[in-house]
Amino acid sequence: MSATAPSIPLHPAAGRRRRMAFGDAVLNAYVLVFFAYMFLPLLFMVAAAFNESPTPSITDWQGFTLKWFAELPADTRFVQGLLHSLIIAGGVIVLSIPLGVAGALILTRMQSKANTLLYTVLVSPVLMPGVVLGVTTMIFWRDFFSVQAGLLTAAMAQTSFIASYCMLMLMARLQRQDRTLEEAALDLGASPLFLFRRITLPFLMPTILTACLIAFLQSIENYNTTFFAIGSSWTLVTEIGSRMRFGLSPMINAIGVIFIAITIIVAVTHTLLTRRKG
Amino acid sequence: MSALIKTYGRGMTALFFALVAAWILLMILAPAFRTIQRAFIYEDRAGATAMVAIDIDRAYTEKFQLDQEAADIRALDMPAAAVTPVVPSMGVPSMGTPSAGGLPSLPSAGGATAMSLEERAARLAAIAARVAELETAIADLEAKEDTSSGEAGMQERYSFENFTTMSGIHFRIFLLTLLYAFCVTVLSFILCYPVAFVAATTESRGKLTVMLLLLVIPYAINELLRIFSWVMILEKNGILNGVFDALGLIDMEAGEGIRFVASNGAVFLVMVYAYVLFMVFPIYNTIDTLDKNQLEAARDLGASSWRIHTRVVIPHAKPGIAVGAIMTFMLSAGSIAAPEIVGRGLHPDWFSQLIYRRFFEADSWNQGSAYSLALLVACVIFIFATMRLFKVGIRDIAK
Repeated sequence: MSATAPSIPLHPAAGRRRRMAFGDAVLNAYVLVFFAYMFLPLLFMVAAAFNESPTPSITDWQGFTLKWFAELPADTRFVQGLLHSLIIAGGVIVLSIPLGVAGALILTRMQSKANTLLYTVLVSPVLMPGVVLGVTTMIFWRDFFSVQAGLLTAAMAQTSFIASYCMLMLMARLQRQDRTLEEAALDLGASPLFLFRRITLPFLMPTILTACLIAFLQSIENYNTTFFAIGSSWTLVTEIGSRMRFGLSPMINAIGVIFIAITIIVAVTHTLLTRRKG
Repeated sequence: MSALIKTYGRGMTALFFALVAAWILLMILAPAFRTIQRAFIYEDRAGATAMVAIDIDRAYTEKFQLDQEAADIRALDMPAAAVTPVVPSMGVPSMGTPSAGGLPSLPSAGGATAMSLEERAARLAAIAARVAELETAIADLEAKEDTSSGEAGMQERYSFENFTTMSGIHFRIFLLTLLYAFCVTVLSFILCYPVAFVAATTESRGKLTVMLLLLVIPYAINELLRIFSWVMILEKNGILNGVFDALGLIDMEAGEGIRFVASNGAVFLVMVYAYVLFMVFPIYNTIDTLDKNQLEAARDLGASSWRIHTRVVIPHAKPGIAVGAIMTFMLSAGSIAAPEIVGRGLHPDWFSQLIYRRFFEADSWNQGSAYSLALLVACVIFIFATMRLFKVGIRDIAK
C-alpha cells in the first residue's frame, strides 16, 4: 500500500479505506467458510442419528426415527461405560483439586530459584502426548504395585495432567489476590487453618468450581490417555472408540447428538452467565 | 517457603508440600523413570532361559489340548446318560453303544464319535498317562527356570537394543508421523490465524460473543465424534462419494467409490479438523491484548496489510502461536484416535498405533516403552525448538 499511495495523492485515505473495507469483507467471508467447515460435518452426523438406515448415512434417507436413541439405555456396555466414566471423573476431581490448590499456593507464594524448575515439572504432563501419559502410568502401577491397568490407573493417568490444568487456573486467580486481608487476619490472631478456611478458600471458590467442571469434562472426554491406561475395562468414550473401529452404527450418532446437545447447553449457559456478570 | 509458613503455619505448609511431592513422585517422575528404565532393558527372547520358557509353554499347550480332548470325549458320553435316566452317573460305561451313533451332529466330538466305547476308554487312559507325564516335565522345567529376571523366562540386560532393533519400516513411520504432525501444525496456523485475528479485532461485542461461542462449541465436542463425523463423509459409501455420484463422476450403484479412509492423507485431513481449534484460542488470547491503536498507527503510516501482520500482529502474538503450535503438534503426533478410527486398519500404521501394538499385541512392553520414549523425546525437542524460535519461556507457554 505504501507503494500505491502516492499514485492517488488527492484522496489517499479514501482509497485506503475502500481497500480496507474490501479486505474486511474477504476476511469475514473466510470466517463464514471456516465455521461452515467446523459445523457441516457435525450437522451430517446429527442428521444421520435420525435416519432409519442401519448404517449412518444422510445420502440414503430411509425415514425419520428415534429408535437409535431408544436402543441406548438397553446397551449394557454403554451404560456400564458411562458408570465407569463417572467413577473415574469423580476420582479425578477429588485428587486434582487438592493437588492443584497445593501446587498453585506453593508456586505463587514461594520465592525460590527452584520455582521455575518446579513449575516446569508440574506443567509437563500438559505438554506430554496423552499416549505417553497412559503408557507410563500403566507400567508404573503394574511394576511397583502389581495393579493391573483398569479404572484406578485410568484415573491416575488423567489426574496427572488434569491437576496441572487446575493448578494453572488457580494460579491465575491467586496472582490477583489482595494479600492484605490475610495479613490483617494474621495480625488479629487468626489460626492458619481458620485463615485458609475463611479467606483463601472463599477467594478461590469460583475458580475451584470452574476447575471441577473443566476436570469433569476433560476426564469424561479423554480418549488417548485412557485408551492405554484402562486395560481391559472401558469408559463410555473408549467404548465409543472401539465401536467406531468395528463398524459404524447410528447408535454412535445418537450418542454424538447427546454429547453435542450437552456441550451446546453448557457453552451457551456459560456465555450467558459471564455476559451478565461482565 | 517462609512466606507460606508465615501465612499457613508449619502443618499446612507441610501438607501442601506433601501433596505436591506425591503428585510429582507418583504421577510424573516415577512413572517416567520406570518407562525410561524399561526402554533400556532388552528382553532376550532367544537365549537359553527363553528356550526353557518356550518348552514350558509348549508343554502347557499340549496339556491343555489333551484336557480339551478328554473333556470332549466325556461330553460325548454325557448326553447319552441323559437319554437313559435309569443310569444317572455319567461316567458309567454300561450304556449301549447305539447312543454314540444317535448323536452324530455333535460337532466338538466329531473325531471321537467314530470311536467305539472301548476305543474311547483307551484313548482317555492314554490321555491321562500323557498328561501325568507332561505335568512332571513342567515341574522339572519350572524348577530349572531362572525366575530372577522380570518377564517370565526372558534374559534381561541394559542396552540400546530396543531402539536399535526398531525396523526400517517402523523408523520410517516414526519420521512420517512427525512430518505429518508438523504439517498439521503449519496448516492449522494458516487456517485459524485469520479467524483469531477477526475475533480479536472486532469492535462489535455481539459479533465477538457469537464467534467465541461458535469456536467453543466444536472445541468442546469430543474429539472422537469430530473424527467420526469425517469418517461418514470419507467412507466408501459416504457423503463425498455420494456427491461425486450425483455429479456423475462415479457410479455408486455399480460399487464404485473411492476409499478415502484408506489413505494417510485422510487421516491427515481429519487431524487438521480435529486439532485446528487448539491453535485458535491461544492466538486469539494474545492478539486480544494487542493495543489496537498500533494497527491504526501502522495503517496511517502507510503499512500494507501484509506488513501490519508480519511486523505488528504476529510478533505480538508469538507466545500464543508457540502454545498453539506445541499443543497441535503434540496432539497430532500422539493421536491414536484419528488413525484408529479413520482407517480402521485400512491405511498404513501411525506411530501411536505401533506403540499400541508393541504393548498389547507383541506383548513387548520394553520395546513399547522405547517407542513411547522416542515419541516423547521428539515432542520435547519440538517444544524447545518452538520456544527458541518464538523466543518465549516456559512461563509464557503454559498459561
